[in-house]
Amino acid sequence: MGDFLNVFIKTAFVENMILSYFLGMCSYLAVSKSVKTALGLGIAVIFVLGITMPMNWLINEYLLKETGFFGMDLTFLRFILFIAVIAALVQLVEMVVEKFSPSLYNALGIFLPLITVNCAILGGSLFMISRELDLTKSVAFGLGGGFGWFLAIVALAAIREKIQYSNVPPALRGLGMAFILTGLMGMAFMSLMGIDPAAFTK
Amino acid sequence: MNLMESSNKYIITFIIIMTVVAAVSLAGMRELTLSASTKNEEIFSKRSVLLTVNDYLGKGLNVNDLSDDEVLKMFNEQVEQVVLNINGEVVPNLLAEKIDLSVEKKKAEADRLLPLFVFKNEKEKFYILSVRGSGLWDEIWGNIAVKSDLNTIAGVTFDHKGETPGLGAEIKDNPAFPGQFIGKQIFKDGEVAVLVRKGGSQDKTYEVDGISGATITCDGVTEMLQRGIAYYLPYLETIEN
Amino acid sequence: MAEILEKVKIEEKEPFFGPKEKKLLLDPLMDINPITVQILGVCSALAITSLVYPSIVMAISVTLVTAFSNFFTSLVREYIPKQVRMIVQLVIIATLVTIVELGLKALNFPIWKQLSVYIGLIITNCIVMGRLEAYAMANKPWRSFLDGIGNGLGYGAILVIVAIIREILGKGTLFAGSPVEIKIIGNNATYLIDTTTSTMFGWYANNNLMVLPAAALFIIGILIWIHRTINPKLVDIS
Repeated sequence: MGDFLNVFIKTAFVENMILSYFLGMCSYLAVSKSVKTALGLGIAVIFVLGITMPMNWLINEYLLKETGFFGMDLTFLRFILFIAVIAALVQLVEMVVEKFSPSLYNALGIFLPLITVNCAILGGSLFMISRELDLTKSVAFGLGGGFGWFLAIVALAAIREKIQYSNVPPALRGLGMAFILTGLMGMAFMSLMGIDPAAFTK
Repeated sequence: MNLMESSNKYIITFIIIMTVVAAVSLAGMRELTLSASTKNEEIFSKRSVLLTVNDYLGKGLNVNDLSDDEVLKMFNEQVEQVVLNINGEVVPNLLAEKIDLSVEKKKAEADRLLPLFVFKNEKEKFYILSVRGSGLWDEIWGNIAVKSDLNTIAGVTFDHKGETPGLGAEIKDNPAFPGQFIGKQIFKDGEVAVLVRKGGSQDKTYEVDGISGATITCDGVTEMLQRGIAYYLPYLETIEN
Repeated sequence: MAEILEKVKIEEKEPFFGPKEKKLLLDPLMDINPITVQILGVCSALAITSLVYPSIVMAISVTLVTAFSNFFTSLVREYIPKQVRMIVQLVIIATLVTIVELGLKALNFPIWKQLSVYIGLIITNCIVMGRLEAYAMANKPWRSFLDGIGNGLGYGAILVIVAIIREILGKGTLFAGSPVEIKIIGNNATYLIDTTTSTMFGWYANNNLMVLPAAALFIIGILIWIHRTINPKLVDIS
């Protein structure tokens, strides 16, 4: 449990996927114009990350590694398999959302398929491999990373809604301001570095 | 775009052909590059071992200027590889370069093996120890070269998995940090005394300056050194006598 | 019959590298820059912009992947079944990225180690997918290839500009880690431990903010500001 919490807090706040790794910037910038759509996309990302990370962990451990099912080193197929799993799962999420919440489906529109090419999803899986996380930790990494992503996009959307009424220089409006705001948020999140993640395992 | 709604049969054939083409080209690429990348990996780790004794290579050589083949040649000619068990006894028929400390760390303490590289130049022998510990976020590791008096540090290298760039990552990126260790004494009354001190070193014989803003990483370095070097104590005592 | 022959002739007459091709190659560098104008590809690759050398390698890798994935997709564009379009594109991209990764590991191991997962993340770089959808699916292979190179370079240019600013101001070096490393700062060896003894030009101490991820965002924000001030027709109306 301590490990789980440690990884969760670390990935959600201190090593935030957007703010310190720039993962998933495209949809982050494109969908952060209103809080409502940002909320929807954020939740979808948490959901997809939470499912794909353990899936990809299992695939890597039992199919691709030398010790796995085929008994040979297939890690060069990692990218293809990971992205295929992600694409398939996103399709599944899309169908479920369309069936159960047409309003959310309409609001997310074309952005749901974009989750497939959201770097946060593939990035989560690749980071998980490079850090040699175990299954519990990779679930924590997925959920924590998704939660951090959710926080960042909702915060940015809220700020962007407010800033519409401010007198920003025309050339800086929109995209330029979004970058600078993200930078400021990143600095604010960095102050959470003082958290000692080891304290949770004690 | 004149894409058609295709029949299932067509889709399946298309996907199968595509998968085969992709898999074959990737497998081919891997076969093509495998030997080169394994060799690169080997040179990379040998270079980092030699880097600890960079000041003592002789003839004004610098590891960073050596070509890959020169590194391999120097390693073969001047470095002896020893594997130790936890009691400081030499385990025969094993190469130190095959020992992976991240694997050893997961074993029970009594079963762990320690890699030791012994570098010889014309005058002196250097003992290069490997240590591994935790930084702020993830693992950190390093090699420490000890002079033949078994006390003075000849050089160190550090590396890390995920420390913060500009802060913790400076243990590797900033040559000044490992550079401080050169000439420091390791042991005081039979205990490992070398450490990283936050806010500036006090006892210049044993201590080096910490990096401001990277306290936990620096504490991790201290802990790694003190625990990691202590593992080698039994062996160092036997060769001292 | 004659009509068809004439059509074939016209097509043959199209120059191999005419003004249209030149436009394809150069426009993405400035007027329709993928990062500052199209908001494509502002992805994870930014994370490696604290040093120039890895950024250049990254820019080359992205350019190769965009160019060749555009080329191959365009080649098979008429045969791709509509229902599985996205998966097909992703497989093409992922294959190319894996080839680039394996190649890099064999050619330059230290850089491969430094870039680690970010090479893999080129797959999800929106610029690759974006160009496939917007250009390669509807155009001929050679033009698509040029479009890929142009966009890859436009993207790479921003990466390298950001990296140059960050490395000089943050570390006091240029091209660190490459064979042509330049040390701008007087005494690079001790800058962090004692910033007072080694400053650039005698007055500038390294700014640690520049090494942090946030700096990349500020710099891009400011680049966009400058770009749109020079070129007001790009300004967001919203």
